[in-house]
Amino acid sequence: MITPLKALRKNRFKTALIFISMSVSIAAIFLISAISGGVVSMYSSMLKTDGDVIVTQKGIADTFFSDINRSLVSSIAPMEGVKEVSALILGAAPVEPLPIVGIYGVSENRFKSYTLKEGSYPSAGEVMLGSKIYETLKRPETILLSKQTFKVSGVFKSRIGFEDGGVVMNLSDAGELFHKSASIFLVSLSDLSRSDALVAEINALGNDLEAKTTDSFIDSYNQFKIIQTSSDVIGAMAFLMGILGIVSMMSMVVNDRKAEFGIMRSVGLSSGVIIGRLLSETLLIAIAAYAVALGASLGILELIEHADKFQGYINGEITAALMFNVFAVSVTMALVGTFLPALYASRIDPMSLIQRGGA
Amino acid sequence: MRIEAHALEHFYGHEKVLNGVDLVIEPGSFTAIIGESGSGKTTLLSILSTLLQPSRGSVRYDGKTFGELGNIDRFRRHNIGFVFQFHYLISYLTLRENVALAALDQTLVDPLLEALGIARLEGRYSDEVSGGERQRAAIARALINRPSVVFADEPTGNLDTKNALGVYELFKRFSIEGTGFVVASHDKKIADYADIIIEMEDGVVKQIHQR
Repeated sequence: MITPLKALRKNRFKTALIFISMSVSIAAIFLISAISGGVVSMYSSMLKTDGDVIVTQKGIADTFFSDINRSLVSSIAPMEGVKEVSALILGAAPVEPLPIVGIYGVSENRFKSYTLKEGSYPSAGEVMLGSKIYETLKRPETILLSKQTFKVSGVFKSRIGFEDGGVVMNLSDAGELFHKSASIFLVSLSDLSRSDALVAEINALGNDLEAKTTDSFIDSYNQFKIIQTSSDVIGAMAFLMGILGIVSMMSMVVNDRKAEFGIMRSVGLSSGVIIGRLLSETLLIAIAAYAVALGASLGILELIEHADKFQGYINGEITAALMFNVFAVSVTMALVGTFLPALYASRIDPMSLIQRGGA
Repeated sequence: MRIEAHALEHFYGHEKVLNGVDLVIEPGSFTAIIGESGSGKTTLLSILSTLLQPSRGSVRYDGKTFGELGNIDRFRRHNIGFVFQFHYLISYLTLRENVALAALDQTLVDPLLEALGIARLEGRYSDEVSGGERQRAAIARALINRPSVVFADEPTGNLDTKNALGVYELFKRFSIEGTGFVVASHDKKIADYADIIIEMEDGVVKQIHQR
């Protein structure tokens, strides 16, 4: 590894350019994947709280558009294996001066899933604020929501960014605000083995209802698929841009070092050795770029998480699996981007390389 | 190793730089190829040393054609050494690392540096030593695998008279020990050291003198 390091040091400027190009690409892949993964994870966590089975309006693409009759809670609650049923209205509305805020209307039995920091749970005409939005709005006593004033009854803390940056109110007030009865029911079970049977029983209640286990709902939820696909596409573009950057820079490096490779061939080193040397050089850059990109991404995610502008809604997470995957992508990027220029250099007659390369 | 070239022709684009060269290099001989710039010396040397493929014609090494040699890099590493006019040491490697770069037996590096009088400079880089010392390191690199034949293209082109004579003396010394040398030069002094002198002009062999 000493020789590749010496070669990189000798070609400092181009090494720096490749390093920057790779760092930016890897950081882009990290951030895109972490943020999209964070969105999916936050929403999944929210649904999983007290929800083993989720009930929505049949055939809706997004829970925000779902509208089901909240009176059906009384039909589901007595079913065998059901521990508790809570109804939610999921909406979004401007809260002066913020252009859009997540609004959660919840039945009273769900209030307990919010950890109060101060005050009390909301009654009619009142709201409870997540700690993030409470600070963003500078600790208000009332808020203006869709031209109606609500008193702030309490503040809760949630590790889920959507909730911590959101407004919670009782189901009736939210129903009036969004003109619907309920968006979803979250059903928690006392006997998880009955989940499939219970899903069938709920679906039999009416044509307009669709019950799924939470895991099955998350797996099939269209919005998650869209987020994941978008993330994959943008990540793939960052990967391709990274490869193109490396290919173009390595082509310049190979061009600059033709004489050196010609000398290596003239002393009998094989094409494979030359390819191996170039690959080991970019591999070293890739490892360094990966480390820097990981550190930078963690820093940027931390900044985003605490930036008022994002209201806590962007909460990226870099998991061990993501770190491993991005490392594999970084190494692949380095190797693929270097291989073609290296192969080109190794195929030319040594004397031609030396004559074209100069002293 | 006996090298036989037959009807060698070579083009750079449309320009013909070798025009039907036939010659034989006997094993262990000291051969000088002399001629003016543009006479085809470098191209002939490059082809004979397997660094360049001829456009036409053939070269046989102990009776084997280029295609019959197997892995050409391996063949070159075991049998051929090359010394360039501009030393062509790799600038980010020390003199020792340059010599050790292709060494099949690393234990030979230090004795060879000692024999060539550059052992004390082994940790220096090429831009930290004189032209003569650089060329000695380049010669050491060419000799490190005890090749059958060393090709040298204008090896003294960038050296003063004293250093140039030193290089010829080195070649002669190793030639006596059995290594063949084929040296292309426009310096007539090389003739004093060579057993065979091949005179080239306009891409053809004009004369061959045997001493």
